[in-house]
Amino acid sequence: MTLLSDRPVEFGPDPDGMTTTDPARRKFGKTLVKWVTSTDHKVIGYMYLITTFVFFLFGGVMALIIRAELAQPHLQFVSQEQYNQLFTMHGSIMLLLFATPLFAGFANVIMPLQIGSPDVAFPRLNMFAFWLFFFGGLIVCFGFLTPGGAASFGWFAYSPLSNAINSPNIGSDLWILGFTIGGLGSILGAVNFITTIFCMRAPGMTMFRMSIFTWNVLLTSILVLMAFPVLAAAFVVLEADRKFGTQVFDAANGGAILWQHLFWFFGHPEVYILALPFFGIASEIIPVFSRKPIFGYKGLVFATISIAALSVAVWAHHMYVTGAVNLPFFAFMTMLIAVPTGVKFFNWIGTMWRGSVSFETPMLWTLGFLVTFLFGGLTGILLSAPPVDFQVSDSYFVVAHFHYVVFGTVVFMMFAGYYFWWPKWTGKMLDERLGKIHFWLLFVGFHTTFLVQHWLGAEGMPRRYADYLPSDGFTTLNVVSTIGSAILALSMLPFLYNVYITARRAPKVEVDDPWGWGCSLEWATSCPPPRHNFTSIPPIRSERPAFDLNHPDLVDLATQKRSRVLDTLVSAEKGSDS
Amino acid sequence: MGSTRSPRRSRARTAAVVATAALVLLGTAGCSADSEWGRIGYPEPATEQGSTLLTFWQNSWIAAFAVGVLTWGLIIWAIVAYRKRANEGAPLQTRYNMPLEILYTVAPAIMIAALFAVTARDQADLTKLTPDTKNTIGVVGFKWNWGFNYTLDDAFESGTQNKPAELWLPVDERVRFQLTSPDVIHSFWVPQFLFKMDVVPGRQNQFELTPNKIGVFAGKCAELCGTYHSQMLFSVHVVSRADYDAHIAALKAAGQTGQLQTGRIVTTGVAS
Repeated sequence: MTLLSDRPVEFGPDPDGMTTTDPARRKFGKTLVKWVTSTDHKVIGYMYLITTFVFFLFGGVMALIIRAELAQPHLQFVSQEQYNQLFTMHGSIMLLLFATPLFAGFANVIMPLQIGSPDVAFPRLNMFAFWLFFFGGLIVCFGFLTPGGAASFGWFAYSPLSNAINSPNIGSDLWILGFTIGGLGSILGAVNFITTIFCMRAPGMTMFRMSIFTWNVLLTSILVLMAFPVLAAAFVVLEADRKFGTQVFDAANGGAILWQHLFWFFGHPEVYILALPFFGIASEIIPVFSRKPIFGYKGLVFATISIAALSVAVWAHHMYVTGAVNLPFFAFMTMLIAVPTGVKFFNWIGTMWRGSVSFETPMLWTLGFLVTFLFGGLTGILLSAPPVDFQVSDSYFVVAHFHYVVFGTVVFMMFAGYYFWWPKWTGKMLDERLGKIHFWLLFVGFHTTFLVQHWLGAEGMPRRYADYLPSDGFTTLNVVSTIGSAILALSMLPFLYNVYITARRAPKVEVDDPWGWGCSLEWATSCPPPRHNFTSIPPIRSERPAFDLNHPDLVDLATQKRSRVLDTLVSAEKGSDS
Repeated sequence: MGSTRSPRRSRARTAAVVATAALVLLGTAGCSADSEWGRIGYPEPATEQGSTLLTFWQNSWIAAFAVGVLTWGLIIWAIVAYRKRANEGAPLQTRYNMPLEILYTVAPAIMIAALFAVTARDQADLTKLTPDTKNTIGVVGFKWNWGFNYTLDDAFESGTQNKPAELWLPVDERVRFQLTSPDVIHSFWVPQFLFKMDVVPGRQNQFELTPNKIGVFAGKCAELCGTYHSQMLFSVHVVSRADYDAHIAALKAAGQTGQLQTGRIVTTGVAS
């Protein structure tokens, strides 16, 4: 285990003997050096959160260009090839440089606090993983600066389109290798999280007292270990095909279907790698603003385990129309996922049921997630049936479906988490009024953009088309969708202003738990926490140690009594040992 | 049920019942099964198999909406009925309810079983290949248009981006499509057939349909195949047998006899 010695926070007066006259510049330089050399899980987490947000905005700008192009038939703003680059980079940046590392960001900042640990198990590996992601991401984006442009074969890089004959540009190589490097970062991050959760829980923090978010970080990390090595291997082999003349994905050897199997064996668990941590955030927020414990804690944990297990057995539902997979098996496995997902929904509703529900921004975003993701889930069950896919696969219906699922989960719950934990991270509460404006603009913008796309897809609009015909009859709904995307983009302004004005004006949070009803352990330390997180840790006797500490009158006696008996037994045993 | 909340609750319940009834009425009034609304976005089917596909789609949506209305209803109910009120004490700290949890695990499982039964039945029917199909069309997807081999008539047609290919089919006759590609993956999609299948290099995929409506239908490539993916269009002309024979004769007269070459095929799709 890594030795967790305190690092000096200040470098002392002028360590290098250089004199800088501007104190603001000196402070900036010091902070910068402190951050880029940091092994503190919180600082690394913040770097993940900031970097992913920049990638989110970059991917968002690409989406706006795509929507602008699609508003009318014919090409107005970009060429066919540029359009293909845009949706390829939009998709792959959003999934692999925004949503996946965003999980690493939240997990880094929050998980060690929730288990009462001073840091992660491997702080330097943690730092290394971040920089792999950071530079891997930059390498991918540098494709835009090369003469042939960025990769343009879609985010799933189907072979043979992604081979050296059909995509000879260097941007494709940067894309493949950049993501291989970034994927290595994800793998190392997952190793770190699993080790931390298994080895570094505070005394009393049994597995079944961990908060649901921590459980989901654990299961997500296990999924990362199953999925990302397959992707990395496939990417390396693809690059060998491109540069060294190997023939693994040659269509004449059945390589076209082989690539799809390998890619989706990564690609489907990836969807749950994106979703599970954010389901976890919902499971943190709903109890706090319903003033009740999470309903059916163990059921929820087992539901998450089932989702994780099933998610590696459904990959070929992305391949129904290839004519090369066993339809009944994959349809059945896919439909099964609806059961644990339904359990989660009812547990969330059960938590609110007969609670005392209030609507501060984190809860508002979570409710937005619930109603949005529900629709994505329902269209997902439709898509699990091959007879539906025969018509709508590779159409805008699928585009709409996965935006409801992924945007509905990742973006809604990202903002929920930001508003929820902002005081814990910065010591200042984000402005509630701006937060509500932000939410409603984004909610209306999102649904205006994507609801109509279901209809477009069912009517026959294929995805990844730069252009459509006036006679197709797709124009009106595309205009609606483009207007929606503009509203969606505008919603970022109140948020950015909120971040700025909060940093400038908001008063300092003096209490450990500004929301008043916090459950998990991070609400039992200061805002922001000290370098090694806790000056003291309260007794942990349920999955709500902070709540038990702050509301002793509401402690569930039945649960407490049993755990107290257990604790007494344990300490008696320890006493007899010594 | 907390007695202090009853008057407010009964009012909320009435409102919920009225809202649900209004939704159901609106839903049924707006959708005669023949309108685009009634088809929930699907185009008018132009094949015999289309009615199966359309019915499947409509029924799935009815089931999905039922589940959705129930779940959204519960969410909204929880938001409205259990909102925090001024000076309210902490609620009862309920942690679990086993019977309820078992109910909401088993009920979705039963619904899924029903959905799977229908899915398995319909997809087996839709992917079935018959040995005695009279018409076989070889579909060749290439960057960036389509070629069609009229296999038994020894004629072919090939399109370009500027002059997209036309596929002629006789009405009410079962057709087998054999899909091949010499370059990258494409996907053969005629939205009004409510069906698509990928065109995979190194592989021959097969499916059968019976067009049952005379008319011209748009066809598209549905799998990203490179720069001009969105220009990979074609049209399907479903005509009477006589018109079909005349078209084949015209192709032959224009010298379009023989068959387009396809890439090397190592596997052939069979019904699953």
